[in-house]
Amino acid sequence: MKFTPELPFAGGRLRPLQHEDADILFQLYSKPEIPGQKPPAAIESMTKLVDYSVQMAATQRGMMWLVEVDGQVQGIVSAFDWQPSWLRLMLRVDGLPSLALAQRQTALQTAMDFLGSKYHIFNFAYQWIAGQNPEIKTMLHQLGFSLRATLRDGWRVGEGFADVEQYHLVLDKQKPKAGRLGEFDNPAQDLNKSVGGRV
Amino acid sequence: MNWNFTLGDYQLRLPNSEQDVEALMGLLQQESLCAHVPCAPLTEVHRVVDELRRMAMRFEAREAAFWLAEKDSQLLGRIGLQRINWMQRSAQLQWELTPALGLPAMQQVLPALLRFAFDELNLHRLEMRLVSTSAQDALLQGLGFHFEGVLPAQLEFMGKDVDLALWSLLKTDLN
Repeated sequence: MKFTPELPFAGGRLRPLQHEDADILFQLYSKPEIPGQKPPAAIESMTKLVDYSVQMAATQRGMMWLVEVDGQVQGIVSAFDWQPSWLRLMLRVDGLPSLALAQRQTALQTAMDFLGSKYHIFNFAYQWIAGQNPEIKTMLHQLGFSLRATLRDGWRVGEGFADVEQYHLVLDKQKPKAGRLGEFDNPAQDLNKSVGGRV
Repeated sequence: MNWNFTLGDYQLRLPNSEQDVEALMGLLQQESLCAHVPCAPLTEVHRVVDELRRMAMRFEAREAAFWLAEKDSQLLGRIGLQRINWMQRSAQLQWELTPALGLPAMQQVLPALLRFAFDELNLHRLEMRLVSTSAQDALLQGLGFHFEGVLPAQLEFMGKDVDLALWSLLKTDLN
Protein backbone atom coordinates (compact mmCIF):
# COMPACT_ATOMS: atom_id res chain seq x y z
CA MET A 1 0.00 0.00 0.00
CA LYS A 2 1.10 3.52 -0.69
CA PHE A 3 1.03 5.72 2.38
CA THR A 4 3.36 8.53 1.34
CA PRO A 5 2.29 10.38 -1.78
CA GLU A 6 4.43 12.16 -4.32
CA LEU A 7 3.94 15.92 -4.02
CA PRO A 8 5.04 18.18 -6.88
CA PHE A 9 6.18 21.76 -6.39
CA ALA A 10 7.59 24.36 -8.76
CA GLY A 11 11.00 23.08 -9.88
CA GLY A 12 10.83 19.78 -8.04
CA ARG A 13 8.89 17.27 -6.06
CA LEU A 14 8.70 15.41 -2.78
CA ARG A 15 8.67 11.67 -3.23
CA PRO A 16 8.63 8.64 -0.93
CA LEU A 17 11.83 6.80 -0.06
CA GLN A 18 12.59 3.57 -1.90
CA HIS A 19 15.17 0.87 -1.38
CA GLU A 20 16.96 2.04 -4.53
CA ASP A 21 17.66 5.32 -2.71
CA ALA A 22 20.07 3.73 -0.23
CA ASP A 23 23.12 5.27 -1.92
CA ILE A 24 21.79 8.82 -1.98
CA LEU A 25 20.50 8.48 1.58
CA PHE A 26 23.94 7.36 2.66
CA GLN A 27 25.42 10.44 0.97
CA LEU A 28 22.87 12.70 2.62
CA TYR A 29 23.41 11.42 6.12
CA SER A 30 27.18 11.28 5.64
CA LYS A 31 27.14 15.08 5.75
CA PRO A 32 24.82 15.65 8.70
CA GLU A 33 23.80 19.26 9.11
CA ILE A 34 22.57 18.78 12.66
CA PRO A 35 25.34 19.21 15.23
CA GLY A 36 26.37 16.02 16.95
CA GLN A 37 24.69 13.68 14.50
CA LYS A 38 27.00 10.85 13.55
CA PRO A 39 27.23 9.72 9.93
CA PRO A 40 25.88 6.22 9.29
CA ALA A 41 28.43 3.43 9.64
CA ALA A 42 27.11 1.30 6.80
CA ILE A 43 24.87 1.67 3.78
CA GLU A 44 22.72 -1.24 5.02
CA SER A 45 21.31 1.01 7.71
CA MET A 46 19.77 3.15 4.96
CA THR A 47 17.68 0.19 3.79
CA LYS A 48 16.33 -0.07 7.31
CA LEU A 49 15.59 3.65 7.22
CA VAL A 50 13.47 3.16 4.10
CA ASP A 51 11.54 0.35 5.82
CA TYR A 52 11.14 2.54 8.87
CA SER A 53 9.77 5.42 6.78
CA VAL A 54 7.06 3.11 5.38
CA GLN A 55 6.19 1.77 8.84
CA MET A 56 5.99 5.27 10.27
CA ALA A 57 3.62 6.46 7.57
CA ALA A 58 1.46 3.34 7.80
CA THR A 59 0.98 3.81 11.53
CA GLN A 60 0.67 7.61 11.46
CA ARG A 61 3.81 8.14 13.49
CA GLY A 62 5.65 10.07 10.81
CA MET A 63 6.29 10.56 7.13
CA MET A 64 9.45 11.06 5.10
CA TRP A 65 10.01 12.43 1.63
CA LEU A 66 13.06 12.89 -0.53
CA VAL A 67 13.36 16.41 -1.89
CA GLU A 68 14.11 16.37 -5.61
CA VAL A 69 15.08 19.57 -7.40
CA ASP A 70 15.58 19.42 -11.15
CA GLY A 71 15.60 15.63 -10.92
CA GLN A 72 18.37 15.54 -8.31
CA VAL A 73 17.85 14.47 -4.70
CA GLN A 74 18.83 17.38 -2.49
CA GLY A 75 17.43 16.50 0.91
CA ILE A 76 14.82 14.87 3.09
CA VAL A 77 11.72 16.29 4.73
CA SER A 78 10.72 14.34 7.82
CA ALA A 79 7.57 14.58 9.89
CA PHE A 80 7.83 12.81 13.22
CA ASP A 81 6.52 12.88 16.79
CA TRP A 82 3.12 12.80 15.12
CA GLN A 83 0.26 13.00 17.62
CA PRO A 84 -2.86 12.14 15.58
CA SER A 85 -5.19 12.78 18.52
CA TRP A 86 -3.87 16.28 18.99
CA LEU A 87 -3.20 17.00 15.31
CA ARG A 88 0.36 18.09 15.79
CA LEU A 89 3.78 16.93 14.64
CA MET A 90 7.42 17.93 14.39
CA LEU A 91 9.16 18.69 11.09
CA ARG A 92 12.76 18.49 10.06
CA VAL A 93 14.72 18.97 6.85
CA ASP A 94 18.10 17.38 6.20
CA GLY A 95 19.68 18.83 3.11
CA LEU A 96 22.81 18.54 1.08
CA PRO A 97 24.90 21.74 1.07
CA SER A 98 23.51 22.38 -2.42
CA LEU A 99 19.90 22.60 -1.19
CA ALA A 100 19.06 26.30 -1.40
CA LEU A 101 17.08 27.88 1.39
CA ALA A 102 14.25 28.84 -0.98
CA GLN A 103 13.94 25.22 -2.12
CA ARG A 104 14.01 24.02 1.47
CA GLN A 105 11.22 26.45 2.29
CA THR A 106 9.11 25.34 -0.67
CA ALA A 107 9.61 21.68 0.19
CA LEU A 108 8.58 22.29 3.78
CA GLN A 109 5.52 24.29 2.72
CA THR A 110 4.49 21.54 0.32
CA ALA A 111 4.69 18.92 3.06
CA MET A 112 2.75 21.11 5.49
CA ASP A 113 0.04 21.82 2.92
CA PHE A 114 -0.43 18.10 2.40
CA LEU A 115 -0.37 17.16 6.09
CA GLY A 116 -2.77 19.98 6.91
CA SER A 117 -5.22 19.07 4.17
CA LYS A 118 -5.12 15.32 4.41
CA TYR A 119 -4.57 14.72 8.12
CA HIS A 120 -5.90 17.98 9.58
CA ILE A 121 -2.57 18.77 11.24
CA PHE A 122 -2.84 22.31 12.57
CA ASN A 123 0.17 22.54 14.88
CA PHE A 124 3.57 22.21 13.20
CA ALA A 125 6.76 22.36 15.24
CA TYR A 126 10.38 22.68 14.14
CA GLN A 127 13.46 22.47 16.32
CA TRP A 128 16.49 24.54 15.40
CA ILE A 129 19.62 23.34 17.13
CA ALA A 130 22.34 25.81 18.04
CA GLY A 131 25.10 25.38 15.49
CA GLN A 132 22.77 24.88 12.54
CA ASN A 133 22.61 27.44 9.77
CA PRO A 134 20.94 30.51 11.37
CA GLU A 135 19.23 31.31 8.05
CA ILE A 136 16.92 28.37 8.78
CA LYS A 137 15.38 30.53 11.51
CA THR A 138 14.68 33.29 8.97
CA MET A 139 13.05 30.71 6.73
CA LEU A 140 10.84 29.52 9.59
CA HIS A 141 9.69 33.08 10.28
CA GLN A 142 8.88 33.49 6.58
CA LEU A 143 6.74 30.35 6.77
CA GLY A 144 4.84 31.83 9.72
CA PHE A 145 6.56 29.97 12.55
CA SER A 146 7.39 31.76 15.79
CA LEU A 147 9.82 30.90 18.56
CA ARG A 148 7.95 29.47 21.55
CA ALA A 149 10.66 28.05 23.78
CA THR A 150 14.40 27.60 24.08
CA LEU A 151 15.33 24.23 25.53
CA ARG A 152 18.59 24.66 27.39
CA ASP A 153 21.00 21.84 26.57
CA GLY A 154 18.14 20.09 24.82
CA TRP A 155 20.34 18.33 22.26
CA ARG A 156 23.33 16.15 22.92
CA VAL A 157 26.45 16.92 20.93
CA GLY A 158 29.14 14.35 21.70
CA GLU A 159 30.06 14.88 25.34
CA GLY A 160 28.42 18.31 25.41
CA PHE A 161 25.00 19.78 24.72
CA ALA A 162 23.43 22.43 22.50
CA ASP A 163 20.38 24.62 23.09
CA VAL A 164 17.29 23.91 21.01
CA GLU A 165 14.94 26.63 19.80
CA GLN A 166 11.44 25.26 19.32
CA TYR A 167 9.29 27.02 16.74
CA HIS A 168 5.59 26.47 16.15
CA LEU A 169 3.12 27.31 13.44
CA VAL A 170 -0.43 26.93 14.73
CA LEU A 171 -3.01 27.24 11.97
CA ASP A 172 -6.34 28.85 12.70
CA LYS A 173 -8.55 26.19 11.19
CA GLN A 174 -11.53 24.18 12.24
CA LYS A 175 -10.77 20.72 13.54
CA PRO A 176 -12.53 17.70 12.06
CA LYS A 177 -15.52 16.36 13.97
CA ALA A 178 -15.36 12.86 15.35
CA GLY A 179 -17.64 10.52 13.47
CA ARG A 180 -18.11 7.03 12.13
CA LEU A 181 -15.81 5.82 9.37
CA GLY A 182 -16.66 7.73 6.19
CA GLU A 183 -19.34 9.82 7.89
CA PHE A 184 -17.72 13.15 7.11
CA ASP A 185 -15.94 12.09 3.93
CA ASN A 186 -12.62 12.47 5.74
CA PRO A 187 -9.90 12.48 3.07
CA ALA A 188 -7.53 10.70 5.44
CA GLN A 189 -9.73 7.64 5.06
CA ASP A 190 -9.27 7.61 1.31
CA LEU A 191 -5.68 7.59 0.14
CA ASN A 192 -6.73 8.03 -3.47
CA LYS A 193 -8.76 11.12 -2.78
CA SER A 194 -7.30 14.28 -4.22
CA VAL A 195 -6.46 17.00 -1.72
CA GLY A 196 -5.81 20.48 -3.02
CA GLY A 197 -5.31 19.12 -6.52
CA ARG A 198 -2.59 16.75 -5.40
CA VAL A 199 -2.68 13.01 -4.95
CA MET B 1 20.84 0.58 42.84
CA ASN B 2 18.61 1.77 45.67
CA TRP B 3 15.51 3.53 44.36
CA ASN B 4 13.99 4.32 47.75
CA PHE B 5 15.09 7.26 49.90
CA THR B 6 14.54 8.63 53.37
CA LEU B 7 14.92 12.39 53.63
CA GLY B 8 14.45 13.58 57.18
CA ASP B 9 10.78 13.04 57.92
CA TYR B 10 9.95 12.07 54.37
CA GLN B 11 10.23 8.86 52.40
CA LEU B 12 10.30 8.42 48.64
CA ARG B 13 9.61 4.88 47.50
CA LEU B 14 8.57 3.03 44.39
CA PRO B 15 4.91 2.00 44.55
CA ASN B 16 3.65 -1.47 45.27
CA SER B 17 0.92 -2.46 42.86
CA GLU B 18 -1.10 -4.40 45.41
CA GLN B 19 -0.78 -2.33 48.53
CA ASP B 20 -0.99 1.25 47.29
CA VAL B 21 -4.33 1.25 45.48
CA GLU B 22 -6.35 2.92 48.21
CA ALA B 23 -3.78 5.58 49.10
CA LEU B 24 -3.06 6.42 45.47
CA MET B 25 -6.76 6.71 44.73
CA GLY B 26 -7.08 9.12 47.64
CA LEU B 27 -4.44 11.26 45.95
CA LEU B 28 -5.33 11.02 42.27
CA GLN B 29 -9.06 11.48 42.73
CA GLN B 30 -8.41 15.06 43.78
CA GLU B 31 -9.04 17.15 40.69
CA SER B 32 -7.04 20.10 41.99
CA LEU B 33 -3.88 17.97 42.28
CA CYS B 34 -4.05 16.81 38.64
CA ALA B 35 -5.23 20.01 36.93
CA HIS B 36 -1.74 21.19 35.97
CA VAL B 37 -0.80 17.88 34.24
CA PRO B 38 -3.62 18.10 32.97
CA CYS B 39 -5.49 14.87 33.53
CA ALA B 40 -8.87 13.74 34.77
CA PRO B 41 -9.05 12.58 38.37
CA LEU B 42 -9.06 8.81 38.90
CA THR B 43 -12.23 8.02 40.77
CA GLU B 44 -12.60 4.30 40.10
CA VAL B 45 -10.57 1.54 41.69
CA HIS B 46 -9.92 -0.35 38.45
CA ARG B 47 -8.41 2.77 36.88
CA VAL B 48 -6.05 3.22 39.82
CA VAL B 49 -5.06 -0.44 39.55
CA ASP B 50 -4.39 0.13 35.84
CA GLU B 51 -2.33 3.20 36.66
CA LEU B 52 -0.21 1.24 39.13
CA ARG B 53 0.32 -1.51 36.54
CA ARG B 54 1.31 1.07 33.92
CA MET B 55 3.79 2.61 36.35
CA ALA B 56 5.33 -0.81 36.96
CA MET B 57 5.49 -1.67 33.25
CA ARG B 58 7.05 1.67 32.33
CA PHE B 59 9.61 1.22 35.10
CA GLU B 60 10.51 -2.24 33.83
CA ALA B 61 10.87 -0.82 30.31
CA ARG B 62 13.30 1.77 31.74
CA GLU B 63 11.21 4.62 30.35
CA ALA B 64 9.82 6.03 33.60
CA ALA B 65 9.98 5.85 37.37
CA PHE B 66 7.33 7.05 39.81
CA TRP B 67 7.84 7.52 43.52
CA LEU B 68 5.30 7.88 46.29
CA ALA B 69 6.24 10.61 48.77
CA GLU B 70 5.19 9.84 52.33
CA LYS B 71 5.49 11.20 55.82
CA ASP B 72 4.53 9.01 58.78
CA SER B 73 3.23 6.46 56.26
CA GLN B 74 0.79 9.05 54.94
CA LEU B 75 0.85 9.53 51.16
CA LEU B 76 1.51 13.19 50.37
CA GLY B 77 2.28 13.08 46.68
CA ARG B 78 3.52 11.27 43.62
CA ILE B 79 6.64 12.34 41.76
CA GLY B 80 7.62 10.80 38.45
CA LEU B 81 10.42 10.83 35.93
CA GLN B 82 9.04 9.90 32.54
CA ARG B 83 9.93 9.99 28.86
CA ILE B 84 13.48 9.20 29.90
CA ASN B 85 15.67 9.71 26.86
CA TRP B 86 18.91 7.86 27.57
CA MET B 87 20.52 9.15 24.36
CA GLN B 88 19.82 12.80 25.07
CA ARG B 89 20.19 12.24 28.84
CA SER B 90 16.92 14.01 29.56
CA ALA B 91 13.61 13.24 31.21
CA GLN B 92 10.32 14.88 32.09
CA LEU B 93 9.17 15.36 35.65
CA GLN B 94 5.56 15.05 36.67
CA TRP B 95 4.02 15.43 40.08
CA GLU B 96 0.75 15.48 41.95
CA LEU B 97 1.36 17.03 45.37
CA THR B 98 -0.89 17.67 48.32
CA PRO B 99 -0.51 21.04 50.06
CA ALA B 100 1.67 19.29 52.66
CA LEU B 101 4.34 18.97 49.95
CA GLY B 102 4.71 22.69 49.43
CA LEU B 103 7.98 24.49 48.80
CA PRO B 104 9.62 23.86 52.22
CA ALA B 105 8.88 20.14 52.04
CA MET B 106 9.89 19.86 48.39
CA GLN B 107 13.15 21.62 49.20
CA GLN B 108 13.87 18.65 51.44
CA VAL B 109 12.57 15.97 49.12
CA LEU B 110 13.55 17.01 45.62
CA PRO B 111 17.35 17.40 46.00
CA ALA B 112 17.72 13.69 46.72
CA LEU B 113 15.70 12.82 43.65
CA LEU B 114 17.73 15.25 41.56
CA ARG B 115 21.02 13.81 42.80
CA PHE B 116 19.74 10.35 41.95
CA ALA B 117 18.64 11.44 38.47
CA PHE B 118 21.83 13.32 37.67
CA ASP B 119 24.43 11.13 39.41
CA GLU B 120 23.01 7.61 39.40
CA LEU B 121 20.92 7.74 36.19
CA ASN B 122 23.45 10.05 34.49
CA LEU B 123 20.74 12.41 33.22
CA HIS B 124 21.63 15.99 32.34
CA ARG B 125 18.32 17.77 31.79
CA LEU B 126 15.01 17.46 33.64
CA GLU B 127 12.05 19.36 32.36
CA MET B 128 8.46 19.93 33.36
CA ARG B 129 5.65 20.61 30.91
CA LEU B 130 2.52 21.75 32.65
CA VAL B 131 -0.43 24.09 32.66
CA SER B 132 0.87 27.28 34.16
CA THR B 133 -0.65 28.30 37.49
CA SER B 134 0.67 30.81 40.00
CA ALA B 135 1.14 28.06 42.60
CA GLN B 136 3.06 25.73 40.27
CA ASP B 137 5.12 28.60 38.85
CA ALA B 138 6.11 29.71 42.36
CA LEU B 139 7.00 26.15 43.36
CA LEU B 140 9.17 25.57 40.29
CA GLN B 141 10.88 28.93 40.67
CA GLY B 142 11.51 28.25 44.37
CA LEU B 143 13.09 24.92 43.48
CA GLY B 144 15.47 26.56 41.02
CA PHE B 145 13.83 25.64 37.72
CA HIS B 146 14.26 27.93 34.71
CA PHE B 147 11.29 29.00 32.62
CA GLU B 148 11.92 28.27 28.92
CA GLY B 149 8.68 29.24 27.19
CA VAL B 150 5.18 28.05 26.41
CA LEU B 151 4.48 25.31 23.85
CA PRO B 152 1.13 25.90 22.15
CA ALA B 153 -1.73 23.43 21.76
CA GLN B 154 0.18 20.43 23.04
CA LEU B 155 -2.92 18.40 23.79
CA GLU B 156 -6.68 18.58 23.96
CA PHE B 157 -8.32 18.35 27.36
CA MET B 158 -12.03 18.78 28.11
CA GLY B 159 -12.56 19.93 24.53
CA LYS B 160 -9.96 22.67 24.60
CA ASP B 161 -6.42 22.97 23.27
CA VAL B 162 -3.95 23.23 26.11
CA ASP B 163 -0.71 25.20 26.09
CA LEU B 164 2.04 23.82 28.29
CA ALA B 165 4.67 25.92 30.05
CA LEU B 166 8.17 24.51 29.84
CA TRP B 167 10.57 24.62 32.78
CA SER B 168 13.92 22.92 33.14
CA LEU B 169 16.66 22.12 35.57
CA LEU B 170 20.12 21.07 34.39
CA LYS B 171 22.75 19.14 36.25
CA THR B 172 25.01 22.16 35.83
CA ASP B 173 22.40 24.41 37.50
CA LEU B 174 23.16 22.63 40.77
CA ASN B 175 26.88 23.43 40.71
